[in-house]
Amino acid sequence: MSSQTANQTSEQNFEQKLKTYRLSHDEYRLMTSLLARDPHPIEWALFSALWSEHCSYKSSKIHLRKFSYRNEKTPDMDGENAGVVDLGFGEKIAFKMESHNHPSFIEPVQGAATGVGGILRDIFTMGARPIMSANFLCFGEVEAPRMKELMRGVVKGISSYGNCVGVPTVTGQTNIHARFNKNILVNALSVGYFGPGQKMALSKAAGPGNLVVYVGAKTGRDGVHGASMASESFDENSESKRPNVQIGDPFFEKLLIEACLEVLEKEYVVAMQDMGAAGLTSSSFEMASRGGVGLVIDLKKVPLRDSSMSAEDILLSESQERMLLVCEPINFEKLQATFKKWGLDAAVLGEVQKERKIKLMWGPETLTNIDPDLIVEKAPRYDRAFSKWAYPNRTDYLKAPVNFDPKKWIAESLQKLTLNQAHWIHNQYDQRVGARTAKACESSVAFVKLDHSGRGLGLVVGCRPEVMLMDAEIGALDAVYYPALQLALKGAEALAITDCLNYGNPQKVELMSEFVASVDAIAKASHEIDAPVISGNVSFYNETLGENIISTPATGVVGLRESVEDLISDQFQTAFQTLILVQMNWVESWVHVLNSENTISKFKQNAAADVPQFIKKCLKLESAINKQGLNVGSIKAVGLGGIGTTCLKMTTDEIGFDLSFEQANQTTDLFKDQFYGFIIASEQGDEVFTLLNNHFKGLAVEVKKIGKTTEQKIKFSADTEIDFKEFRSNFVKGL
Amino acid sequence: MGLKVGIARFLGTNCDEDVRKWVLSKSATADYLWYEDQFDPNAYDMVIIPGGFSYGDYLRCGALAALTPVMKSVREFAKKEKPILGICNGFQILCESGLLPGALLRNKDQRFKDQWVTLKVEQNKNHFSKKMTTGQILKLPIAHGEGNYYAEGDTLKMMADQNQIWLTYRQENPNGALMNIAGITNEKHNICGLMPHPERAQTTWMGSSDGAFFL
Repeated sequence: MSSQTANQTSEQNFEQKLKTYRLSHDEYRLMTSLLARDPHPIEWALFSALWSEHCSYKSSKIHLRKFSYRNEKTPDMDGENAGVVDLGFGEKIAFKMESHNHPSFIEPVQGAATGVGGILRDIFTMGARPIMSANFLCFGEVEAPRMKELMRGVVKGISSYGNCVGVPTVTGQTNIHARFNKNILVNALSVGYFGPGQKMALSKAAGPGNLVVYVGAKTGRDGVHGASMASESFDENSESKRPNVQIGDPFFEKLLIEACLEVLEKEYVVAMQDMGAAGLTSSSFEMASRGGVGLVIDLKKVPLRDSSMSAEDILLSESQERMLLVCEPINFEKLQATFKKWGLDAAVLGEVQKERKIKLMWGPETLTNIDPDLIVEKAPRYDRAFSKWAYPNRTDYLKAPVNFDPKKWIAESLQKLTLNQAHWIHNQYDQRVGARTAKACESSVAFVKLDHSGRGLGLVVGCRPEVMLMDAEIGALDAVYYPALQLALKGAEALAITDCLNYGNPQKVELMSEFVASVDAIAKASHEIDAPVISGNVSFYNETLGENIISTPATGVVGLRESVEDLISDQFQTAFQTLILVQMNWVESWVHVLNSENTISKFKQNAAADVPQFIKKCLKLESAINKQGLNVGSIKAVGLGGIGTTCLKMTTDEIGFDLSFEQANQTTDLFKDQFYGFIIASEQGDEVFTLLNNHFKGLAVEVKKIGKTTEQKIKFSADTEIDFKEFRSNFVKGL
Repeated sequence: MGLKVGIARFLGTNCDEDVRKWVLSKSATADYLWYEDQFDPNAYDMVIIPGGFSYGDYLRCGALAALTPVMKSVREFAKKEKPILGICNGFQILCESGLLPGALLRNKDQRFKDQWVTLKVEQNKNHFSKKMTTGQILKLPIAHGEGNYYAEGDTLKMMADQNQIWLTYRQENPNGALMNIAGITNEKHNICGLMPHPERAQTTWMGSSDGAFFL
């Protein structure tokens, strides 16, 4: 072989290696300069995993700093697994939302199931018992290839996992849009509870000589390189990535929850961390880095499902239901006994050392001895190119769509499942296990009763992809404002936010611009309503064959009210109640109606509108109503598709509505989107009308009577009526 | 002296805390009965087997739990004609143990189902119906994948003759159960099993307080 060909081959090999480990040339140079030498074989794998977008947040980190705002209820958790909110009375919650988009598109049942499992571990690794879960789902059009299978599979995955672990799934949002045909979104959220005196567990490794212990399921090949898979776009070969998807076992997870909470309660544990993305690699490096210590770990001691696994496979496996913890040697036997009681193994992998180095051993052989901060703290940070947000769809002259036929639109929307109640999804979730649930998926806001104080903890997921499609800034403000309004209308004050930022390829300027505009907007809105963004996750590269999803910053917002008694329903209660609309004017558009024609709506924005003030007023409404002793049957924020669509969603099998007699506007206007408003139904129409006028006095808010509830009738205007029974039967239909 | 209740706990039980809260709210005392241990049948006045996914529902729901040491003691407890209540997975375990007749199959649409159901009390001759009247209508939630009650024709007939059919679904049968059966008892009426969850319907804020009639 000539030396020239040898050179060429080694260059090809090198390029291939970069590709396999998904590292760029610059990243390779940074890696060698940090190490001051060429990396050892195992170090390629470590850098690849921990510098993946998924683990390092390299494209988003400089922007996520904008979420640093905290108030007295939200302690700074310094990079712990989930954010914490202090609710007073000694009660705290931990909560977080996370994406599992890529695995769910490849294998929907396992992808979604392990998404639920992963977020639960983030919560109980802190010592909190998970008390409620939620999800945010975006699917493509029902008729798109594989979509029905994906929808059914994702729902099955969430339900089979969540139901078995015994955590109620209390709320969720399902969006359908063509822009998710080739890349669905599956975001899972979980909330954990700390009662008075219950200690919080941390992930900071500490105490040289303490044992590093592996607990839970054995390690297999599933999910090897999963983190870096989730950090790149899909192509025609995405199906072949199936072996990268992890397999979940909810029964194991349930045992792990009980065993971990028990050893934490008995104080056998110094630090604990779940093995999530990039498995043992990220958990060990993060625990060491956060604790400012080193670890010695013998990979040969990791319990394996398949004894032929290499050190690299073991380090990168994303097998589910595993935790890494640190305990004092004196407590190990007791710890092991507790895990054994729950049918689980605990194996010592090594120990904590003072020197800040991670020493990975393969029996007697040292594979690497490396400063964890070189990989964790010194990971690359990219300030990706973006441009200032320019409101491409904003206009001063908003035109109504021509020839809009509400009857036809409703019928088509029901066919496409875009208007339907997601009953077929929700009734596969156990919504009441735990016996804390006061309101679940039937309500726009879920409430559970807190064990100690008896107060109501509310939860809503937010972000409406259609609004994001119209404008990334408005859409992201809406992802905070709208859930906060929904909470306020049920008498709950928004306290804190978690987010799951789902975007396309951040190396495309237009997408990075949307990312930056929406992060800025979420930070602004969260500050305005005093609900800090305390945890979250970023999922980039939601792109298939160059086609990107709608940028979707999903949010989860928690709120608190004094009790779970007397919660006002979303649905109509009895016939002949007066329907009153309370409406402010921030943004006007036809986003929902035009979207069903695949047209992006223009919008008109009123710069003088004060949304936070409106939300504040809404929060005080319930007590104002109670003070006057008035009866309100139902209350609901006006959702997309305007008053008409919202009233349809408030119907029950017995009660419909009639908007024909006090309506001055055209029927088309009933389907216009105007942010924000709400509908209230009461048999004391005149009294409630007067109260609303007084309550919102001084704000630019319109209060008007718009109709009445009826017995099994749906009438929009004198000439627009739809068949009640037919609508109801289609409305509850799903897959 | 309050009622002493034993609550069986298997690997995968997930309604244990909920049942305990319920029992304690009735000024009774509650002890967990761990699946690996036997207990003294004289130490308790009542045993409840809560819902969940014992052994992850592997093999068949309740099949593995039925073989555990704690169930040996439950059998002895049953012989003394003391009251036993099995809820959801607890009902499945009682059927698998042979303490109740019949079996619970996959729901007819093959899906897990969570919803509110309307029930009719067919007979109130058992310990858990003391506060109910025959013919009373109850609203309770269900949450199960295998609640489709099945028994052979002869068995069903015998059960009907002996007033063993306790609760039936009204309006809608959510899982395909024969004769709309939601709950049954043994022939002595001391062992009762039902698919709905009374512990999740104790006060109005939960959506119904009809679960309060059971204890």
